Amino acid sequence: MAEGSGLERPGLDGAAGEEFLGQALRLLLDEAVRNGTDRARKVCEWREPRELRALLDLELRPHGEPPQRLLQRCRDVARYSVKTGHPRFFNQLFSGLDHHALAGRLLTEALNTSQYTYEIAPVFVLMEEVVLAKLRELVGWGSGDGIFCPGGSLSNMYAMNVARFQRFPEGRQRGSRALPRLALFASQESHYSIEKGAAFLGIGTDNVFFVRADERGKMIPEELEKEIERAKSEGAVPFFVSATCGTTVLGAFDPLQSVADVCQRHGLWLHVDAAWGGSALLSRTHRHLLAGIERADSVAWNPHKMLAVGLQCSALLLRDTSGLLQRCHGAGASYLFQRDKFYDVAYDTGDKTLQCGRRVDCLKLWLLWKAVGTEGLERRVDRAFACTRYLVEEVKRRDGFQLVLEPEFINLCFWFVPPSLRGREGCDDFWERLGKVAPAIKERMMREGSMMVSYQPHGARVNFFRQIATSPAVTRADLDFFLDEIERLGHDL
Amino acid sequence: MGKRCFLSSDISPNCSAFNSFRMERDGNPNVMLELISSDFSLFVFHPSVLVPRACCLLLIEMVGICKQDMLQKKKNAVLVDGVILNGPIMDSKAGEKFVEEACKIIMEEVIQKANDVTEKVCEWRAPETLKKILDLEMRDTGESHQKLLQLCQDVIQYSVKTSHPRFFNQLYAGIDYYSLVARFITEALNPSVYTYEVSPVFLLVEETVIKKMIEFIGWEEGDGIFNPGGSVSNMYAMNLARYKFCPEIKEKGLSGLPRLVLFTSEECHYSMKKAASFLGIGTENVYFVKTDERGKMIPEELEKQVQRARKEGSAPFLVCATAGTTVLGAFDPLDEIADICEKHGLWLHVDASWGGSALISRKHCRLLCGIHRADSVAWNPHKMLLAGIQCCALLVKDNSGLLKKCYSAKAAYLFQQDKFYDVSYDTGDKSIQCSRRPDAFKFWLMWKALGTTGLEERVNRALALARYLVEEIKKREGFQLLLEPEYANVCFWYIPPSLRKMEDGPEFWQKLHEVAPIVKERMMKKGSMMLGYQPHRGKVNFFRQVVISPQVSREDMDFLLDEIELLAKDL
Repeated sequence: MAEGSGLERPGLDGAAGEEFLGQALRLLLDEAVRNGTDRARKVCEWREPRELRALLDLELRPHGEPPQRLLQRCRDVARYSVKTGHPRFFNQLFSGLDHHALAGRLLTEALNTSQYTYEIAPVFVLMEEVVLAKLRELVGWGSGDGIFCPGGSLSNMYAMNVARFQRFPEGRQRGSRALPRLALFASQESHYSIEKGAAFLGIGTDNVFFVRADERGKMIPEELEKEIERAKSEGAVPFFVSATCGTTVLGAFDPLQSVADVCQRHGLWLHVDAAWGGSALLSRTHRHLLAGIERADSVAWNPHKMLAVGLQCSALLLRDTSGLLQRCHGAGASYLFQRDKFYDVAYDTGDKTLQCGRRVDCLKLWLLWKAVGTEGLERRVDRAFACTRYLVEEVKRRDGFQLVLEPEFINLCFWFVPPSLRGREGCDDFWERLGKVAPAIKERMMREGSMMVSYQPHGARVNFFRQIATSPAVTRADLDFFLDEIERLGHDL
Repeated sequence: MGKRCFLSSDISPNCSAFNSFRMERDGNPNVMLELISSDFSLFVFHPSVLVPRACCLLLIEMVGICKQDMLQKKKNAVLVDGVILNGPIMDSKAGEKFVEEACKIIMEEVIQKANDVTEKVCEWRAPETLKKILDLEMRDTGESHQKLLQLCQDVIQYSVKTSHPRFFNQLYAGIDYYSLVARFITEALNPSVYTYEVSPVFLLVEETVIKKMIEFIGWEEGDGIFNPGGSVSNMYAMNLARYKFCPEIKEKGLSGLPRLVLFTSEECHYSMKKAASFLGIGTENVYFVKTDERGKMIPEELEKQVQRARKEGSAPFLVCATAGTTVLGAFDPLDEIADICEKHGLWLHVDASWGGSALISRKHCRLLCGIHRADSVAWNPHKMLLAGIQCCALLVKDNSGLLKKCYSAKAAYLFQQDKFYDVSYDTGDKSIQCSRRPDAFKFWLMWKALGTTGLEERVNRALALARYLVEEIKKREGFQLLLEPEYANVCFWYIPPSLRKMEDGPEFWQKLHEVAPIVKERMMKKGSMMLGYQPHRGKVNFFRQVVISPQVSREDMDFLLDEIELLAKDL
């Protein structure tokens, strides 16, 4: 019978596959790891979408291609991808390439498992527990719970859902329609995932009460108090406050102690979105920025940002020890979480999650930590702060550079005022014209591929640059280059 | 605890002082000299290896020679908050070497052993024992590269080999070299797919792959996004359907609204319930529709449930059909379900996370007949097609930007509208995530390597092997099929000799119930294979065999049955 033919032998050529893999690994080390972090090379090789599409020959066809052709494709992918590990990639809240974490990530991919049961992922179930405990220890909790999530946005949503469940457990079954109108609070400067979360969870974006922040971007506790009162007066039931440690644009830290006082007074769940700022907890010098974080009920912290662990590595940490996470999300699927297994099924932690299959995100952080130790991580955090400090002083010294505000974290926000606009600060069109400078410089730097840095308008402020240096490969020379390059690219604007 | 010091000032280089120090890495003087000459800035000594005296003398000499140079360098040093910013904080050369070494271990210990059936599938240790074997603790100081590589070896040794030809435990298995290459590249490039600016290649790749998948569903056009798992895809769909039904919920929330009700079969994946609770819909508003004995939703029962919901005054808005249920591998009759959805104006979502890959096969795509009538489809190529965890697409028929309208938050810092290129390529705002992995890429490279025909062969082969196993089970004494499978899930009981003569009754079933867990325990402790079991809707524990990997051959199927017999003969 035709169906049976070929079933005696494996349906793929292992030897050829291994050879291909070996060649690809060499390519990867050359193109992505070495060249991708080489200052003498470009950060990006800009192509318009249409052109790039043609260059890459993306189409998927009926027949396969030979290995040499595929290796060329891999080379193209590396060539036209942005080198986020390059020391002059300052564009996002992640950058840099850590070799130890990379090894952990490659190993994770090779082992290809899903983190739901001890049966399937014995090493990683135990490892996740240890890593989460370590992160909790830095938050200041001796016990608690937690889980790695696919991104900080989801961590925030988890927290929101757990808070809702704790307050109204019946909502899980009956739905939010049966609950009163809920209200949650976050500062104007909070990450957009809070709004997305409110929409997704059926709470509604109108029920996110945005609390005013001061000129540095920090939530004003008195305003929080007022918003809570306002929500109550509208008949809504406040249940959740999300404070931010390290806002996305300005890098501001909300005053956790005062916010915690307010939460305590009103009996509200305090979540701290420390996706960005959490890593400062590693530094004895800078952890005071998060003073009071131990009073939170939940914390979101993404080591993939400042610690260069690699996307994604996002932890949600909970103070609760009563199994709230499991009760809130557990479904007890009998095909996966059988109760009659021959080992202690308390180790089958996968039912705490919203996901079913879940990637192993702990190994890369664990291996990095093993490699450099808590002290090595602290050194990286201190160094990132020092880089920003250095740039701040330089920006103040140089003509044409103007700080948006004195940073408390490592978000360096500044305008570059080109020579043609200097001394015209009083003119009507000054701000409008200044707002066009950053996009023009950005276009030029991307076309040249010399570096990448982000810009945005923010509130009433016109476009300004936001520079972030987290990569441990960055040196003073790169920081000088950064400012010189802005001057060079913007001098004729 | 290591002592941190600046080499040039904190230590006076005399022999006795150095004798009391131990040196990072190992005692090799060459390594030490290399370190000194390449980076003066920061140096950690910690108690791992004693520095030999000869090395110290050499060191002192070296320090002497370099002193002049160092003082000069120190003068130019930029010291901010006690941190020297000259020179990087990490040693890239050593780091690259470490990655190379790690790759070697991965090749030797994971990849090359993946095809070797004489290797164990798992090296079972109880949690408490494994904790002791693995040195998991995270300490203040770092470890040597040699130690780290040993840790990697340990991680590999005690991890389950999901690419082993005798790993049949989950809906994923096996290894595809091409997708693995793409996954390695992804890790090395570390991109996030939100804007064209940061991920030009991966955004275009995602667009291409989604378009291709849509073609297989049978839509002319559509939209889509890759998600961290099929459960999340199902949630996306549920939220999208709700948004279509009543867009104001995005702003106003659900409080005080009529009951929104959705329908799915009793055999659906548990993510439906999780989604309903997460989205605030409530688990009691998931109406489970009866299935036939093969696990397929009965359309007449769906019709009844919709009527019931209407009568109750609630608001039906969504039907989730399943194409390839988790346990039995059943396919709901999509055409008839689509008729009902059309009649009542309900969104039809098809959870084809598991069964979607059959669309690639001209021979088996009829299992999903009618899928083109769905409004959204979840399809995980990481399952049957071996794209690697995770690779999950949500595909949407809508072409009017519903996905974006439903999810967008228009963050000004990421999705600036005054960029110098066409910002319609910045598709990240369609997602509930912010940073997102480029999961389409591994599927793309694999597809490039194998072609559609290669993928098709893979599906045909898996189903042919399942067929073979079914025939063998029918032939062998003591094995009993639960039902004739329509897909790759082969569900069966093994009745050990001692039970074969027993009368059918509660006692028999109770005894049979205990067989699978014991066989499972034995196979895991032996490490010979892995296979899932579960009770299911009134049926006592049975095995669920899933064939996916192209490495698997007929011999492995025979082995599976022989091994169960061997492990259970005394039960």
